[in-house]
Amino acid sequence: MRRANALGLAMIALPMLVITVFIGLPIVLAVAFSLGHTGGPNSNLSAIAQHEHKSNGGLGTTAAYHEVLSDHQNIRDLIVTIVVTLISVIAVLVASWAVALYLRLSGSRLAKTFAALSVVPLFIPVVIASYAIRQFYNGDGFFRGLAHHAGWSNPPILSSTTAGITLGEIWVSIPFAVLMISSGLAAVPDALIEAARDAGASLARTVRTILVPMCAIPTVIAVTFTAIGILGSFTVPYLTGPASPNMLGVTMQHYFSAFAEPQQAEVLAVVVFVIASLAAVWYVRANATAARRSGATS
Amino acid sequence: MTTPTPDTSERPSAQADPAAADRPALVIDGVTKVLGGRTIIDDLDLSIGAGELVCLLGPSGCGKTTTLRMIGGFIRPDHGQIRIAGKDVTPSPPERRPTAMVFQNYALWPHMTVFKNVAFGLKLRKLPKAEIEQRVEQALSLVNLTHHTQSHPAQISGGEQQRVALARALVLEPEVLLLDEPLSNLDAKLRVRVREDIREIQQRVGITTVFVTHDQDEALAISDRIAVMSKGRIEQYADAGTLYSMPQTRFVADFVGAMNTFDGVPGIGSVTVDGKPIPATMVTDTASEPAQLCVRPEDVRISSDGDGPLASVLREMPRGHYKEIVLAIGETEVRAFVAADFTGEQAHVVFSRVLVYRDGVLIDTRPGADSARRR
Amino acid sequence: MTTQIVRRALTALFVLLLAVFILGPLLWLALQAFSQRPSQFPAFWPKSWSLVWWHTVFHDPVLAQAIKASFIFAPVVTLVSAAICLPAAYAFSRFLFPGRRLFLVSIFAVNAFPKFGLYVALAGLFYALNLIPSFTGVVIVQLLGTIVFMTWIPSAAFAAVPRSLEEAARDAGAGPLRVFARITLPLAAPGILVALILSFLASFDEAQGTFLVGVPTYVTMPTEMYNLVGSYPPGTAAVFSILLAIPSMVLLLLVRKHVMGGYLAEGFQLR
Repeated sequence: MRRANALGLAMIALPMLVITVFIGLPIVLAVAFSLGHTGGPNSNLSAIAQHEHKSNGGLGTTAAYHEVLSDHQNIRDLIVTIVVTLISVIAVLVASWAVALYLRLSGSRLAKTFAALSVVPLFIPVVIASYAIRQFYNGDGFFRGLAHHAGWSNPPILSSTTAGITLGEIWVSIPFAVLMISSGLAAVPDALIEAARDAGASLARTVRTILVPMCAIPTVIAVTFTAIGILGSFTVPYLTGPASPNMLGVTMQHYFSAFAEPQQAEVLAVVVFVIASLAAVWYVRANATAARRSGATS
Repeated sequence: MTTPTPDTSERPSAQADPAAADRPALVIDGVTKVLGGRTIIDDLDLSIGAGELVCLLGPSGCGKTTTLRMIGGFIRPDHGQIRIAGKDVTPSPPERRPTAMVFQNYALWPHMTVFKNVAFGLKLRKLPKAEIEQRVEQALSLVNLTHHTQSHPAQISGGEQQRVALARALVLEPEVLLLDEPLSNLDAKLRVRVREDIREIQQRVGITTVFVTHDQDEALAISDRIAVMSKGRIEQYADAGTLYSMPQTRFVADFVGAMNTFDGVPGIGSVTVDGKPIPATMVTDTASEPAQLCVRPEDVRISSDGDGPLASVLREMPRGHYKEIVLAIGETEVRAFVAADFTGEQAHVVFSRVLVYRDGVLIDTRPGADSARRR
Repeated sequence: MTTQIVRRALTALFVLLLAVFILGPLLWLALQAFSQRPSQFPAFWPKSWSLVWWHTVFHDPVLAQAIKASFIFAPVVTLVSAAICLPAAYAFSRFLFPGRRLFLVSIFAVNAFPKFGLYVALAGLFYALNLIPSFTGVVIVQLLGTIVFMTWIPSAAFAAVPRSLEEAARDAGAGPLRVFARITLPLAAPGILVALILSFLASFDEAQGTFLVGVPTYVTMPTEMYNLVGSYPPGTAAVFSILLAIPSMVLLLLVRKHVMGGYLAEGFQLR
């Protein structure tokens, strides 16, 4: 047993080292930098910084946070980030549940083709997807042309708007959610559905009382990953969104590239990280519950 | 034709009302089902009386589960009609049928407690909370499971899960209870006990029940009548005693119980096997044309007074209170059940009952036998 | 009867809408790659066809260089990732060492911190290590996005191989390594394949980190794409997009069945 432990730990050592050095350490550095610790490994970033707040020792200073969060434009960007994330997550959830339910309950070839189609975006690089969506919904894009011919005389230009960002985020996020939920639904035995029908439940009722609760874990996973992915996204809002207000991923990039203010960029990164962590905690707890329950079964 | 009993919770039991069997509770009328180009069920007729427990017995792939699922409404027949208490339910989905199914793997919802599993259907019917609680408790005490009500299915044993599934079906007071191989996941000892429990509960409630199994022991032990199925058809539909003593086809003869089968020529008071005449007390057909002969092992007797041909004992297998031996009569091997203290290398053999089959069908020309089977 | 027709119609409408939503932008992009000038509102069909943008892309040395760089980095990163992560994936599936769950979950941190913030801090670190610009630096940056796929998915695939199958092989006289090579690995292969392809795509798709660490020496296709969107005609970007999407589409067709079969989903349910 002890040998197996040692062997297991040795086998995971390498990726853990990579994560510690190239993800853990940078995150610590980023948080430290945002709190004004500009020395040590952060001195290179500090060297290019146009304007920064230095700590006088101790835990650090929150001056950079005060600066960034008192700028009302950043607050607007924060609100846009949260609103786009919420709307996108809800839309993705509804669409992916619809696709997955259709696949599970129909099982026809059309349903299978349809489910496969909804997974296509997983394989399209995000840059291309964002560019394609921007072109599709822009002034001369297909969406407006088609809507016009369908009788809508002056359809809106969705590219370079927050609606455009939302469409882009939904497009990119659907496949993962569809895969999670359809796999969860596939794991529900037919007999459990039939037993509910037998007891007198309508289809809608069966979905609500049997399928939804039994797929709670995959749904939580889909929601958290989608939310976290959208919160920190850059490419989609950068290519499909307006100059301002935009999502914080783009704002960060602006602070860094346009203003040469890496400290302010890291402040925003930490803010997004805190929000994303709330979702992450939910994910970890859901998984822990699932592990405990499956442990009770076996 | 049937006047509704004023108190529906008091169902008349099969014993209490002998006329009940004459009023069919469930009728399957000319039902055919084709799946993927294969005829799974072929023009099947079956009628089940109120309060009866009928087994659908057959090897895997014979169509017994398909039949059950058509009664439950999970599969729709291509042709034919299914009537419950005189009402055509063929187009109704499962939730609109007065049937309740106990599934093979119990199909308990893992995210609900035992109580919630049983209460589910009642809640759908929007019954008051107090009544739901009372009926769930009643159903659970019926299956002897009053503890564990707040446990999840994963926390109770297989036998207990089985009983929850039964309670979940019974609590809805269905017209017809359907059981799909409900005992196949239990170990041998438990299986015998639970099947007796099921029979006992069924008789107490007096509910019309269809029970699917591939285990003939199970079927013989608990059924009022058994429908033996093969290749989508019913080979024979009769009570356990008739099925065992007078299997109408070779398939039933081989499938139900142990059976010796060999070619021979029947005659009056004896049959000829491998050229040797063997005395036989009863032969169903005496026309001396070659036929297939079937004899139960317990109908092979060792004669002490030297009657019958001398057969050599090939093998002996002690079975506890009796002994199973294999005898060679000429080239033909015959299995016999004899007394536990039997010894010897040779024995004289006589038959007490010989069933005669031609083209796979029982030929019974004795006076008083079913005339349709006479030649 | 009418409710059934309504339900059918609603389903059909939903299918149609989602199909247009997902495929529309891609097909629209393909149209643009072959049309001389973009159509103008309210027209939504190009007037004249042309291969001129293809010509531009193939004769632009900068773009050709980016294509080459992408096809070097993605396979290298995928192989490095597999070499590092697959043993760990096996360990996660078969050994219950202390802190196993903590490690498994910690991989999740890759996703929770916004990529851009991470890359900025990483860039500071890389300056100190003299890794900007460098081949190694780009490989490391792209590697980070593959670790989740390459650990979780194969781990679930290994875990799904029944131990009894391995034990039967041991019983038949095979040593542990042979059991792994002949029994475990082939049975887990579909999951590993899915992980390899998703890692390849993650690396192929990575632009921000590659930009911060690689520019100006190492420019891959997606990094170049940002450039194109701003400073080239739309047709060029469309052609470039199609080129960038071809490997993805080929890989998609290869593993569609396995991805739909739940290998990805299994990987994200940590056990």
